[in-house]
Amino acid sequence: MSEKKQQSEDQLLEEVTSSEYKYGFTTDIESDTIPKGLSEDVVRIISAKKNEPQWMLDYRLKAYKAWLEMEEPDWANVSYEKPNYQDVIYYSAPKQKPVLDSLDDLDPEMKKTFDRLGISLEEQKRMANVAVDIVMDSVSVANTFKETLAEKGIIFCSISDAIQDHPELVKKYLSSVVPVRDNFFSALNSAVFSDGSFCYIPKGVKCPMELSTYFRINEAGTGQFERTLLIADEGSQVSYLEGCTAPMRDENQLHAAVVELIALDDADIKYSTVQNWYPGNAEGVGGVFNFVTKRGICHKNAKISWTQVETGSAVTWKYPSCILKGDNAIGEFFSVAVTNNHQQADTGTKMIHLGKNTKSTIIAKGISAGKSNGNYRGLVKISKGATNSRNFSQCDSLLMGDKCGSHTFPYIEVKNNSSKVEHEATTSKIGEDQIFYCNQRGIGTEAAIALIVNGYCKDVLNQLPMEFAVEAQKLLEISLEGSVG
Amino acid sequence: MGLINNIKSYSETLNLSEEKRGQLNSFLDEGFPTIKDEDWKYTSLKKIITEDFSIENKVGNVSDSDITNHSLGFENQLIFVDGKLISSPKIKGLTIDGFTDFESRNNNAIMNLNASICNNGFSITIDKNIVIEEIIEILFFTTTKNNFSQYRNQITVGENSEIKFVEKIQNLNNSTSFVNYFTQINCDKNTNVEFNKIQNNTSNSILIDNVDVYQKSDSTCAVNTLIFGGNFTRNNLNFEQNGSNCESNMNGVSVLDNNQFADNHTFVDHKSAHCRSNEMYKGVYLGKSKGVFNGKIMVRPNAQKIDAFQSNNNLLLSDDSSIDSKPQLEIYADDVKCSHGCTIGQLDDDALFYMRSRGIGIEEAKAVLTYAFASEAIENISVEPVKLLAQNLLAQKLNVDLDFSL
Repeated sequence: MSEKKQQSEDQLLEEVTSSEYKYGFTTDIESDTIPKGLSEDVVRIISAKKNEPQWMLDYRLKAYKAWLEMEEPDWANVSYEKPNYQDVIYYSAPKQKPVLDSLDDLDPEMKKTFDRLGISLEEQKRMANVAVDIVMDSVSVANTFKETLAEKGIIFCSISDAIQDHPELVKKYLSSVVPVRDNFFSALNSAVFSDGSFCYIPKGVKCPMELSTYFRINEAGTGQFERTLLIADEGSQVSYLEGCTAPMRDENQLHAAVVELIALDDADIKYSTVQNWYPGNAEGVGGVFNFVTKRGICHKNAKISWTQVETGSAVTWKYPSCILKGDNAIGEFFSVAVTNNHQQADTGTKMIHLGKNTKSTIIAKGISAGKSNGNYRGLVKISKGATNSRNFSQCDSLLMGDKCGSHTFPYIEVKNNSSKVEHEATTSKIGEDQIFYCNQRGIGTEAAIALIVNGYCKDVLNQLPMEFAVEAQKLLEISLEGSVG
Repeated sequence: MGLINNIKSYSETLNLSEEKRGQLNSFLDEGFPTIKDEDWKYTSLKKIITEDFSIENKVGNVSDSDITNHSLGFENQLIFVDGKLISSPKIKGLTIDGFTDFESRNNNAIMNLNASICNNGFSITIDKNIVIEEIIEILFFTTTKNNFSQYRNQITVGENSEIKFVEKIQNLNNSTSFVNYFTQINCDKNTNVEFNKIQNNTSNSILIDNVDVYQKSDSTCAVNTLIFGGNFTRNNLNFEQNGSNCESNMNGVSVLDNNQFADNHTFVDHKSAHCRSNEMYKGVYLGKSKGVFNGKIMVRPNAQKIDAFQSNNNLLLSDDSSIDSKPQLEIYADDVKCSHGCTIGQLDDDALFYMRSRGIGIEEAKAVLTYAFASEAIENISVEPVKLLAQNLLAQKLNVDLDFSL
């Protein structure tokens, strides 16, 4: 490689590394914050502030006790300074807690934040037919389209409202897929979760619109402990979107969410995520720790499809999983994970086949640039009773620059002889000949890379709902423009 | 009692140097690996190490017919009986010695145990610029009952030399034998080495087989592993490439039935640029057998232009068989082509039907398809008698009287 070319590559890489996080700003809203640290009292305060019934407090206290006995896991292929859990504020809610029916009642400051993010709620409301449950620092402040949904019998509200209004559903399903003791972060979340979304689709109802939540970490030093519970009753269908951006901060912020999906017989859930938390600056200072537990259970003939585009966070630890419990259940996982600068991602999925004739598909695309490390870690488990099951996994990695790393850790366990499992993985860089081919045809190097990356991720991006696909493509461009492999 | 205690009391009878005492102590501190160790997640030694084994070797007798029965009949044979070297070939340019201690860089618990108390094995040095046409056959016989034996071998290949080995460990009684085996192969520049391991021991044999290969530039080394027998087999095969234009090849065929267990762990460490590795492991599982595969490819920073390929294909032919597979890639350089593929499945019903409709019996049809499946790896073996043996053993395992060597 000639020196000149090397220089221009370095320059291009430099450009990428220096492109600052677009969404880094803080909204100045008065917050109702409790002191730092975690103790039984804090758990009680959170529960009391949210005016929760006794069973919920008991649940939280049990989780807190379980958490105390657990150790933070370190098996993931990421290294970071473990957060001091006593240095985190566990509850922060915007002081005015308006129950809004229209967006006009929204705090103008907050509205401006969303406008700067390029998300016009009115527009979404009118044009995209999306009901948005905005979660800004843990408490939902706007809930649109609630009435439209209510007509169909769909319950879409914050989880704290659900605890008040639908305790029977929450009691039945909360922690039924992700047990409190499942892992360190799920126990922590169960103890201190401040808010999140709750959704119930009744029998045979097809949700007429995409449901979406918008997460934002706002208050400095506030951990976000979101809890999402989505129940699709027999024969129902729903598509749920979740997207996030976070403002620029120098200290690491902790995000430990738990998402539980329950797809009863013949139900169909599609859960899409675009994650763009603050990844830290070019030197790897700051950034969000994203330790998320996402899991769904599929009963007979049900289907759960996870789609994720992960571009943010300093450290990501996330494995959206499917338990295929019923016969003929289907699980899908489509992922694009982009890491740049000093980002680290350890992400993948678990497909646990228990029912007969269950099928799962895994498509994971990793892109690593700068000094980042991307990992795919996945489990495909076919139990003895899961006869005639089928799995197809493909995980590809694209490397940009010689300081980054890409790794795959697939676990495949098969316990019967009528199932078929295929797994394949490749790692390579964008070929110089590919770029040359584009250059020859008058496509600039930047555009060529965007073209190739887009093609590479197409299998996954195609799975996203329209409005997310556009945002995801933009994110990929921002994250990678100029990285010549 | 149990094995750990046997080792302790045996070690007291030895006059160990301070270094070896240290290695033994670090083994005793750690103990045998358990399923909590990531590398032993699917492989449990728990039952094995509760049994009693005699560690001391009493050298027994091996008849000529034993040797003929268990060897492939090569002219140049290196024969060990209960750890004692009883026969070694004389070939120009080849120096063969009995056990000669050497240091290894591999220091996990099992290797520490081997390093501390082992006093059996061989050391082979091949001079520079020699192509040895003859195949060296290495045979280890065990006659001691319930024996836990250690072997520690070193092969050093001089610049521009070529050599091929066939190796077999054979238990001559029906008791449970446990072998902890280690071979280090040092390949100097521009060497070509092929090492064939035939693992077809008696049905209650236990084997932990460790092979470390260190390669210098322009060298090619192939290690082929054929697992047909034994009760419990664990292979740790590690390649380290230090120099450009190295090639590391691994082929494995496991055909297991009854309660057999086999675990293939491979690790290729690409430390230098412009190197290649090819890995192909085929597994056929019958009865209640269980297989494990763990293949790791590591590409170090700045080791550019690496081509690394790995494939692991498995056929589960009975409902009680199972497989756990974990292909891994760890890549820290960008200009590489690395891939792994893993499949688990069954024989194609349509293909079976096609053959049966043409008058081929079900067993034979299955055998032909299974052979076709395994042959890709078997074909990569360059030593003809080993290939033939693999074909015969496969037919034997599948209970058919077919000659695949057409």
